[in-house]
Amino acid sequence: MKQSLLGLCLLFSWVVTAQNFTVRGKVKDAKNGETLMGATVFLKGTTNGAITNNYGFYSLTAVKGNYTLVVSYMGYQEITKSIILNENLEFNFELNELSESLDEVVITADEPERISIKKPQMSVSKLKASTIKQMPAVLGEVDVIKSIQMLPGVTNNGEGSPGFNVRGGAVDQNLVLLDEAIIYNTSHFFGFFSVFNNDAIKDIKLYKGDIPANFGGRVSSVLDVHQKDGNSKQFALTGGIGLISSRLTAEAPLFSNKGSFLIAGRSSYAHLFMKGMDEFKDDKISFYDLNLKTNYSINKNNKIYLSGYFGRDVFDINNIIKNNYGNASGNLRWNHIFNDKLFSNLSLIYSKYDYQIVLDFVELDWVADIVNYNLKYDFKYYLNNNLKLDFGLSSIFYNLNPGEVKPTSASSPVNPLKLDEKRALESGLYISAEHKISNKLTAQYGLRLSRFNRLGGQPITNYLNNLPVVYNNQFDIYEAGEATSETNFSTNKSIKTFNNLEPRLGLSYQLNQASSIKASYTRSAQYLHLLSNTTSVTPVDVWTPSGKFIKPQLSNQYALGYYKNFNNQKYTLELETYYKTTSNRIDYIDGSDLIGNNNIETEILNGEARAYGLEFLLRKNTGKLTGWLAYTLSKSEQRTLGGNAGGPGINNGNWYNTPYDRTHDVSVTGIYKLNDSWSFSANAVFQTGRPVTYPNAQYQYEGLSIASFGNRNESRLPAYHRLDVSATYKPKKNLNRKLQGEWVFGVYNAYNRRNAASISFLQNQDTGVNEANRLSIFGIIPSITYNFKF
Amino acid sequence: MQQYIKSAIILVCIILTSCEDVIDVTVPTSAPRLVIEASLDWQKGTTGNNQTVKLSTSTPYFENTTNSAVTNATVTVTNENTGNVYNFVNENNGNYTINNFQPIIGNTYSLEIIYNNEIYTATEKMISVSPIKRVEQSLEGGFDDDVLDVSIFWDDPVDEENYYLLVFYEQGDIVATFEDFPDEFVNGNELDEFFEKERDDDDEFEEFNPGDVVEISLYGVSKQFDYYASLLIEQYDSAGDPFSTIPGKLKGNCVNITNPDNVPFGYFRLSEFDKVVYTFQ
Repeated sequence: MKQSLLGLCLLFSWVVTAQNFTVRGKVKDAKNGETLMGATVFLKGTTNGAITNNYGFYSLTAVKGNYTLVVSYMGYQEITKSIILNENLEFNFELNELSESLDEVVITADEPERISIKKPQMSVSKLKASTIKQMPAVLGEVDVIKSIQMLPGVTNNGEGSPGFNVRGGAVDQNLVLLDEAIIYNTSHFFGFFSVFNNDAIKDIKLYKGDIPANFGGRVSSVLDVHQKDGNSKQFALTGGIGLISSRLTAEAPLFSNKGSFLIAGRSSYAHLFMKGMDEFKDDKISFYDLNLKTNYSINKNNKIYLSGYFGRDVFDINNIIKNNYGNASGNLRWNHIFNDKLFSNLSLIYSKYDYQIVLDFVELDWVADIVNYNLKYDFKYYLNNNLKLDFGLSSIFYNLNPGEVKPTSASSPVNPLKLDEKRALESGLYISAEHKISNKLTAQYGLRLSRFNRLGGQPITNYLNNLPVVYNNQFDIYEAGEATSETNFSTNKSIKTFNNLEPRLGLSYQLNQASSIKASYTRSAQYLHLLSNTTSVTPVDVWTPSGKFIKPQLSNQYALGYYKNFNNQKYTLELETYYKTTSNRIDYIDGSDLIGNNNIETEILNGEARAYGLEFLLRKNTGKLTGWLAYTLSKSEQRTLGGNAGGPGINNGNWYNTPYDRTHDVSVTGIYKLNDSWSFSANAVFQTGRPVTYPNAQYQYEGLSIASFGNRNESRLPAYHRLDVSATYKPKKNLNRKLQGEWVFGVYNAYNRRNAASISFLQNQDTGVNEANRLSIFGIIPSITYNFKF
Repeated sequence: MQQYIKSAIILVCIILTSCEDVIDVTVPTSAPRLVIEASLDWQKGTTGNNQTVKLSTSTPYFENTTNSAVTNATVTVTNENTGNVYNFVNENNGNYTINNFQPIIGNTYSLEIIYNNEIYTATEKMISVSPIKRVEQSLEGGFDDDVLDVSIFWDDPVDEENYYLLVFYEQGDIVATFEDFPDEFVNGNELDEFFEKERDDDDEFEEFNPGDVVEISLYGVSKQFDYYASLLIEQYDSAGDPFSTIPGKLKGNCVNITNPDNVPFGYFRLSEFDKVVYTFQ
């Protein structure tokens, strides 16, 4: 019945199309030629409209006639144009930014325009680089990852811990893409700063649920970061000098305005000062990154993009410990417009994450890396006013080197060791439709077929009774199973293959002009897992593919939302609730040892996770004061049963809090523009403390006072809260000079709250008394940054 | 290995930030349990006849009175290979002693404790150890090339898996430093381990100075004890810091056979050990 109804709808659409014409084109920023994604192109007086895609392209089909075309983008001046639609047309638009000329309108995050309330896409947050830049940041380092934590449903493990957690999910459950390339580690300095240089970024989109079918491979979220294309109008130089790092970005048109490029560099320079300090003269701590992007329009239907990223962290402590790690990625894209309605993009993507540790005192050199090559072909078909189709395919080849140990000298006691390299192929095929069923009801339904092939080329250990972990009844502990033999899989054989169907469904029902309700269901599969049994994710944590022993994580998420614009779109309200289950979420047995372990399967048990919550977001979009208030009430738990290994499982088989559980999470962001010279902003955050495991007894053993720990994650750190403020001063621009400067003064953690990053329980070595030691990362931190545009 | 990589990260983290302070925290409290410290250690060159088993109960984490000695238990050790039974004498201070114990390398021993009408048992093998070949003092051996360190050297047998427990103790200190050392990455080589104390600008006696006396012991232990000790040491050194593993329940090899849920703490271990006493020059 449902299928025939759907078929009927499709048929109906085809019939109507016959009388129609299409208008298409691109929408750009008039000042720098950057394409605008998410701009609205609208036929006035109808419900017919389109939103530009990631490349600024739109296509709109309507019945022959006279129309007024309205092109708008939040923070930009609207353009209207009368058109006579009696043939297929092409119009490119360039919009002017508002904030330059008008005081009373200040740009902020998402554009709450007519269409988005109707669009079935939910659980998505969009931030423009310009908004992120206005938020106060620690040490003045503008930080994408920290800014998204101000949104409802997004948290992290506290300062100095890398990554972020979405709706109670783990860090490795986020797909982080920089111009489509997978970024495996989002942090510099072990989590203090993000790898994204805000100057090179156009905007970011975070999907917390209702993940579109073109994305796959992670179960929690997708953070889609787009780099700027580069100014195609004129040469521009922007930069900044901060306490921690300096930035410089150059962009300019290329090939007689048929293309443009952007090159952005950022580097910390603390190590330069350290050289001057006696205590640190032999130490070096630094990070740098480089963003590149260039594009070339071959003709109006073909455009090529090349983007790249290279970032690195380097630590050298007195030549004793040397550590360096980083991401590298590149993406070559070809945009091709087949016709008025069919847009395509072909991408060839490379990304790599690697790290190295050299320990001089044990004469050891440790290296590990993950490399992937990704071929992706995506299509967007603007079938008619009521139906748009997205379809495509992608294939990713992974090569994982989980670790190699080399002695650094002949006298080293360390024996060389190389853990088995792992290889895998992850493929996806998807189709998704955005379907306007009636004037009030719009649906987005799609299906993703994913396939993961763990390739051979390595031996796999076989265990007695096929059990890599067994329960030791006598001592009530889990321990490694008995290895019986090894099977050598040759490179042309596959060790294990998984197939998953991932349906995605979103519905939007418009209640009236200003409000709508939406519902969605997402099923997604994750084949790569980050092995981490520590409290915080660390750079040395190893990615491991699903295979004979580790199954893919499968998640189902259901979400329901209510959206309302009021006071002429001055305010928007978003209210969402979600319920998410994840199967095959692994957890680690007590005393698990993951470093240098070739048989990870002997340390883990298969579990499940569930999370649910309510998210509230109130935004003020226009006026001198803009900003938002976010509140999340949520729960995130996991359970790990003994399963085939026997025994009760972790925590006696009971549900326990995940480290990402936060009962309450409140954040407020406000940006106040006083006049052309001064603007002020503030962030305030309050969060329930992170679940941790505290001791519930002590005893004397071998002269030491030993702590005995209670149930996993049954206690909590003290609540986390802080306030950040910043002020931006733009001196009056001298019209004769091109240089425009800007001073940013900031105070992070203004009331000097000593938030506990962790509490460790230790016996004082001088007094013998047990103590609780709080580690807090950032106290009150003032900062000053100078930014310039040329 | 794991410890090295972890300590590397922690060191980097400490350099980046070092805002640690001691705070008051409310922790949960569990019912007291029996603690079994049955370390039957046999020093090379001695008879090993005198042995002590210490029994106590666990206390709330922040309770300072550590007088929780168990004085109403009976302790028996049996050599499963020879059938010899050793009945330990209750000294009424938590210590149970014996003076005719016969340590035999490779023999299996069992422990039986009766306390509060519950029977606790454990079984373990007596493990041998290679002798300490030499002791060396240097500046370059440890983390910091400006402070003195001391290293011991020994040969690891190539044809077997070996596990070591090292105990470093500076005379006058309150507690010793423990390290577990599996030969996982270093099998069959000459092994060494250093002992160094961090420099403290406020206390010049904190680091090693000429005249300081250290006692270094090298124990041979079983794989299971190594697993127990590695967890115990890790939790003792770093429980709860951001790069430590999530603290788990430490379970030794002693079992309560009367009431299995009333799990005892501690371990029944039989180790040969070698010990050197070194005075810094």
